[in-house]
Amino acid sequence: MKVLRVLRRRRGGQTLEAAGLIRAALMTVALLAASMAAVAEVPVIELTIRGHLFIPAELVVPANTKIKLIVINADPTPEEFESYELNREKIIVGNSRAVVFIGPLEPGEYPFFGEFNMSTAQGKIIAK
Amino acid sequence: MLLDAIVIVLRETLEAGVLVSVLASLGTRLHLSLRWLGTALLAGSAGALISAFNLGIVSGWFAGVGQEVVDALLQYAIFLLLLWLMLLMQRPQPEPLLRGCMIAIVALAVTREGSEILLFFSSYLQSEEALIGAATSGFVGFMIGLSVGILCYLTLAVTLQPSTAARVQRIVLPLVAAGMTLQATQLLVQADWLPAGPPLWNSGHLLSERSISGQMAYAVFGYEATPTAIEIGFYIGALCLLLLAQYCQRAHLQR
Repeated sequence: MKVLRVLRRRRGGQTLEAAGLIRAALMTVALLAASMAAVAEVPVIELTIRGHLFIPAELVVPANTKIKLIVINADPTPEEFESYELNREKIIVGNSRAVVFIGPLEPGEYPFFGEFNMSTAQGKIIAK
Repeated sequence: MLLDAIVIVLRETLEAGVLVSVLASLGTRLHLSLRWLGTALLAGSAGALISAFNLGIVSGWFAGVGQEVVDALLQYAIFLLLLWLMLLMQRPQPEPLLRGCMIAIVALAVTREGSEILLFFSSYLQSEEALIGAATSGFVGFMIGLSVGILCYLTLAVTLQPSTAARVQRIVLPLVAAGMTLQATQLLVQADWLPAGPPLWNSGHLLSERSISGQMAYAVFGYEATPTAIEIGFYIGALCLLLLAQYCQRAHLQR
């Protein structure tokens, strides 16, 4: 960029001004696009239910960030993903996947469970 | 006995039962026969069946958050109907409207809780033996929930002085209704339709959502130990609207 600016400055007055304006406009658009991409780029994390177990049972996620959790229910039976600590509750019918947005979370541990099979379906999210 | 089955059915029955028993007692105090309740429970059961069978399809709507959106709409609808009910009570003879409004509220509440129970039992359809075990346990949970509901109803409709019962109804109904908006708002946050945020506080050490009292608080006024700003905003906004409706009603009656 610096090299470009120096080169353009040599071309003299009016061109410099116009080029500057165009560049400023382009930079603004690029910045806007970048920030919009940042908004759209929510980290995606997958969690599978198989045999009434959560796999993996422990998920490490970045703290203070919104996460798109995709829960894949590989069992033929429905399960309810539930967590008091995350304030989340969602039924996932058999052989399907569901989207649950969580966070932003403060660093810490957030247990979750499958309400339909509480004795086995247990797991936790660790925000770091 | 399956503990899961008892707990789930009991929880869902209690959640719907609080609202149903308060409305039933309100109806009795207003000299309505209980026939409206039968209609509402039938409609709610049909709603629960439809909802449970179509959950897979509904879940796929709106890029995978259809379940949250539809459930949130149901809860906002219950809130609006409760608000309307409070305004309806201003008029001296609004019987058909009043009955229709109460039928709609109970039917929607039973649809929500009933579909979860049905989905839970659908896991056991493969084996007859397992289904019988789960159904027996579920029945125990249902009977406990039903007993609590009937006890609430009798206390409000028969035992308490009419003025005391009216006071309890005036306190409980707005709390239930505002709790609905809090839960609905949380669902829209879960769907990423409303902005997420850090919790405003954590009252989990005072009243844990896992405890029985915490569960009751959840059933009655949508208790959350770690609510976010937007949830509290909706809760307070809803409560203000409900209290305003009540104030209008009382001002109208005193005139």
